[in-house]
Amino acid sequence: MAAPHALTDLAAPGPVEPGPAAAPERRRGLSPGKVLGYAVLVVAAIGLLLPFFWMVSSSLKTNSGVFSIPVTWFPDSPQWGNYAEIWRISDMLTWLKNTVFLSVVVTVLQLFTGSFAAYGFAKTRFPGRNLLFLLYIGTIAVPWQAYMIPQFIMMSEAGLTNTPWAIIALQAFGAFGVFLMRQYYATIPDELCEAARVDGLSEYGIYFRIMLPLSVPALASLALLTFVTTWNDYLGPLIYLRDPDLWTIQLGLKSFVSEYNAEHALIMTGSVLSVLPIAVVFLLGQKYFVQGIATSGMKG
Amino acid sequence: MRHRHPRWTAIAAAVTALTLTATACGADEPADSGGPVTLTMSAWSLKTTPEFQKLAEAFQAQNPEVKVEFKEYDAANYDTQLTADLAAGSAPDLYVLKNLKNFITYQSGEQLLDVSDVAGGLGNDVNGLGNYKVDGMTYAVPYRQDSWYLYYNKDLFTAAGVTPPSETWTWAEYEKASADLAAGLKAAGSPAKAAYQHTWQSTVQGLALAQTSGADLGSGDYGYLAPYYKRALEQQKAGAQVDYGTATTNTLQYQAQFGTQQAAMMLMGSWYVATLIAQQKKGDAQAFQWGFAPAPQADAGAKAKPVTFGDPTGIGINAAIDEGKVAAAKKFLTFAAGEGAASALASIGITPATLTEPVVKAYFGVEGVPGDELSKFAFTTHDTRAENPVSPQTAALQNILLETHSAIMSESTPVDDALRQAGERARSEVLESK
Amino acid sequence: MSTTTVGGPPRTGAGRAKRGHRALRSLQGVSFVLPNFLGFGLLTLGPVVALFYISFTNWNVFGTAKWIGLDNFTRLLKDASFHTALLNTLYYSAFHIPLTLAVSLALALLLNRKLRGVAFFRTAAFFPYITSIVAIAIAWNLLFSRDAGPVNQILGLFGVDDPPGWTASSDWAMPAVIIVGVWREMGYYMLLFLAGLQTVPPELHEAARIDGANAWQRFRNVTLPCLRPTTFFVTVMLTIGSFKVFDLILVMTNGGPGQSTLVLSQYIYQKGLVENRFGYASAISVVLFALCMLVTVVQFAVNRRRNA
Repeated sequence: MAAPHALTDLAAPGPVEPGPAAAPERRRGLSPGKVLGYAVLVVAAIGLLLPFFWMVSSSLKTNSGVFSIPVTWFPDSPQWGNYAEIWRISDMLTWLKNTVFLSVVVTVLQLFTGSFAAYGFAKTRFPGRNLLFLLYIGTIAVPWQAYMIPQFIMMSEAGLTNTPWAIIALQAFGAFGVFLMRQYYATIPDELCEAARVDGLSEYGIYFRIMLPLSVPALASLALLTFVTTWNDYLGPLIYLRDPDLWTIQLGLKSFVSEYNAEHALIMTGSVLSVLPIAVVFLLGQKYFVQGIATSGMKG
Repeated sequence: MRHRHPRWTAIAAAVTALTLTATACGADEPADSGGPVTLTMSAWSLKTTPEFQKLAEAFQAQNPEVKVEFKEYDAANYDTQLTADLAAGSAPDLYVLKNLKNFITYQSGEQLLDVSDVAGGLGNDVNGLGNYKVDGMTYAVPYRQDSWYLYYNKDLFTAAGVTPPSETWTWAEYEKASADLAAGLKAAGSPAKAAYQHTWQSTVQGLALAQTSGADLGSGDYGYLAPYYKRALEQQKAGAQVDYGTATTNTLQYQAQFGTQQAAMMLMGSWYVATLIAQQKKGDAQAFQWGFAPAPQADAGAKAKPVTFGDPTGIGINAAIDEGKVAAAKKFLTFAAGEGAASALASIGITPATLTEPVVKAYFGVEGVPGDELSKFAFTTHDTRAENPVSPQTAALQNILLETHSAIMSESTPVDDALRQAGERARSEVLESK
Repeated sequence: MSTTTVGGPPRTGAGRAKRGHRALRSLQGVSFVLPNFLGFGLLTLGPVVALFYISFTNWNVFGTAKWIGLDNFTRLLKDASFHTALLNTLYYSAFHIPLTLAVSLALALLLNRKLRGVAFFRTAAFFPYITSIVAIAIAWNLLFSRDAGPVNQILGLFGVDDPPGWTASSDWAMPAVIIVGVWREMGYYMLLFLAGLQTVPPELHEAARIDGANAWQRFRNVTLPCLRPTTFFVTVMLTIGSFKVFDLILVMTNGGPGQSTLVLSQYIYQKGLVENRFGYASAISVVLFALCMLVTVVQFAVNRRRNA
């Protein structure tokens, strides 16, 4: 393939060419188009990471240096001590432990109940199915801050407030996962299920043995997004968790902000630390977005 | 325990009943009257806000049979969390009224016990007590009453060769000093501005409401704000202070602006005294001589008692409190508003609601509090009007005025147009729909 | 529902009555949905139904809710701030939805290949979504600063003499918020598109290539049709997300200057949690809900027609 095509190819959809046609091109090394493509990506990455970089740079400043004008992006004398100080002055460890627990439990529950229900909506028929599905989507459209007090009263009467179970109950059964997984299952041909039924698999068997393996990319994105949402949720823990021993990282950081409102550098140190675990989870999770996982099974 | 749930919970309850065994509304153990009593009380940021511990300790020293335990809330979202707890019946026995603006919500929602008897026994020396009176009955008592001062940097005034503020400063004198400071500081080679005006609406509207005779938040006529806004705009146009746009886009912090000598003057609430002392000690603020003066006055006639503004912070009793705890709770309220608590609070740099001689002495005994005569005068002598006069409309009106504030200060809308629109909105959205 | 017991796996052509067979399938379908629905119905649907009821009352958290019929809704008709918030929400959505859709799809296509360092670029694209929103607001406000901000300095290089005041100006605050909104969320939707792209069979691309289709034609005729369920999902979520935009605006401009960036969710927050007028706040929520559902149902219909 000629070099001028390389750029359009970069922007073009589609899988990595598996055929032999593509192989020589890759071996030829960097074409000018590819270099340009990478340059664009690198510039974009800088734009994407700039506010995060501001966070990191602020976390290494003194308190009075954070908001000084003009902005210094590289502090003269980095205050590495901030990264030791934050553990001493706050309960970061407790917050992180709580958040990891909540995020993992919520993600597992959401993955399971969400994809299970999604199969019901996508591949089985029962009366009222579409209406019920519309109800699911409908609740996404209602802003939480409008119904959180009635919900709080309910949870309170069930004795769930001020326990981690409140957050788990709140997040684990969301409509989002059902919707996401249902749309993914919709792309899997019905013939596949029919064939499996002919082969004698039960509906549950189809779900476990065919659908789940096929939907790894969707499960991965649902897992990542649920994990991040739970990790970064602030309003939920704010309303439901009073006991400092139960605080999550976001709640802890925000209350740290209001307690030590002049400790700007430490606040940014905490923020940087709170982002890193998700970045690691994302780095690990993104490898499931690879062509082949989904389709290999489909070919049967 | 009173059930005060609206009818719609019937729906929710029906759903709940399907799977959950309804655990009856949180059952508090009734305390025996006479024996030891434990009171629960709301608080926030306990680690950095010593006033609650101080109150409890001072009270328990006198009343060993009563124990005060704190339930900690988030400082920034205090009212949201407290509202949720009250609605669900899980709020503490005593709760702090952090924002005067929201007092009426709790009062009209029948969440506060009538404490007129406590108020009656307090006398007339408790500043801010009248704010908690509704229809002749009192529903809370104040324990602190902050008010706004003019902070000034003595070193910068000296450097610029400008005479420091006096007890009788008017706005005209303030403007003149501001111009002199700007010129003098520039000549002295200092990068500091004459003043810093923080981005809050209070910095303009609070004093305008307090100092203008006939000004009324609930009237829907906001012409009284015009001179104050025109002055603020002139000051920022002249470069005497950082403009609003810069302050918001750069997230400027007032503590750093004054504390690192970026500005020679700043209007701010009395809580900043303790903050500045702590920051100077820790090194977050630079070491320099400072003091505080009464806020500049609209007319020179207010010399004897300069008019300023500030909201009290009060404590009320949860209406759902156990019968057996009421007496102890009232005892606590009486103590919190009185001289004993005031001295204890003053000794950690808090401005209490009661300002008797021993209290003033305790306050100025704190290391770092400026001991000059002007600061003492500002602390003891002032007519502090509420920033948020108690009314069911206040919260909504302040919201309109907040939007007006950013429209004017960002110079998006001319002053008179913005104030006229604010009035129209107040009438159509809030006042006519009483 | 008829009383078919769940005996064993249903076999096609096993001789069962067709009707019983269908009932069994229904029952199995319900069994899939049930675990999630128990939690969902109780914890989300219940309170949402309560919200609809509250919108016809004057409930203020404390005290009883008095039924006031359509009063809240007739007041909304005359409420100028509500109209402003509604228009601002539509303004935000009109730009935020198509821009985010285009950018996130482009990103997903770009990063759905075996590039060197693709993991890094994917993570970088996702970073805006996980970076603390407070830090985002502070950093972007700095970037947008009128006089010394990098954004205006770059504009100056291109000969813009009178650069906008961005978040400090009532005309430019909304464009600024839209830009940051797209910037923040594109990684999120990219992720959803990335998952969807894995379902596009490579053989189809290969076949199209052999037929002489160019990159654009392959995108139009192979990728897009295969991606339709994902695109539908992303569009619906993006629409609802845009109509409900809240925290970003709260921290970036707090609705200002004036009311130039006041949006519906924020207005609901003000009326509800700030002023405790939950009846009124619920009524606004119902309007927001109706708006979202209207757009969603239209999208459903369009999607179904395309599929047909």
